[in-house]
Amino acid sequence: MKEIEEIVKELIENVRELERVIENIKKPVAESSQLLPETAKNIKDVMAYLEDTSHSIMNLLEKVNENSREIGKEVDFLISLNPVPKIKDRLLRIKDLNDKNMATVLELYTHLSFHDLAGQQLKTVMDVLERVKSTLVDVIVSQMTAGRDLKEEQVSGIKGKVSELLSRDRISQEDVDRLFEEFGSQGG
Amino acid sequence: MPLPPPDIRILVVDDMSTMRRIIRTILNQLGYTNIEEAENGKQALAKLRSEKFDFVITDWNMPEMDGLQLVKEIRNDPDLKHLPVLMVTAEAKKENVLEALKAGVNNYIVKPFTPEVLKEKMEKIFK
Repeated sequence: MKEIEEIVKELIENVRELERVIENIKKPVAESSQLLPETAKNIKDVMAYLEDTSHSIMNLLEKVNENSREIGKEVDFLISLNPVPKIKDRLLRIKDLNDKNMATVLELYTHLSFHDLAGQQLKTVMDVLERVKSTLVDVIVSQMTAGRDLKEEQVSGIKGKVSELLSRDRISQEDVDRLFEEFGSQGG
Repeated sequence: MPLPPPDIRILVVDDMSTMRRIIRTILNQLGYTNIEEAENGKQALAKLRSEKFDFVITDWNMPEMDGLQLVKEIRNDPDLKHLPVLMVTAEAKKENVLEALKAGVNNYIVKPFTPEVLKEKMEKIFK
């Protein structure tokens, strides 16, 4: 009888310990699982915004260049009429400035490659987020499975579930609770 | 040094639509209008194996197949191995440049770049 009492006591202590572990994990799981996908989505939005804006700026620059080309043609025509030297000099100066403007527009255009460079940096941030997620999954799963005699497929099942929950846009507290319930039934 | 003839067919490979547009615009400005685009190495390789091109300008970091792998595939393909390839990339470390050279690129441009740099590299490749 005393032996059974000891076993029950030990069991209760184990359950309490487990409850404490679960309580400790619940909050960071819920917080991190909300933050990670949100951050990833925000970065994707920034990348899309940068791309759209870059194309809009390019469209405007192309219009400016198109106008400059027309100005160039008009000036060439006026020069071909062989005007008096004073006017011809002015027209040549306009032509020169117009050519310089077109070169500047092209240079401006190339500076829009900042979108590509910024995009690559943002991709690096996204990769880091993915790694953080993967580490978080490992930490959660190792805490959940610590000291429990689980089969390999059970561990990978939990890992898959946690990863799936973290990949969603948003995870509800119910999801977290369900996960812990499921873990409870799997862990025995 | 003269530029290659304006009727050459050029394939621009970059996953960023803005970069493809920038390169295309500079090429247009230099007189090249026969330009095709691909979003990654895999797509580029399929195009290169089904159509004729005279010159490839490729980025390094791309999904599915990166530029480095594309260059290796080109150099290992008997029908494509002599195709001139220019790499335009943000990878600016010395070891990156060496790796690209080892893979078989003909020249290398670090982003961001000016139209003059592209012109100069094209002249060098086609001299």
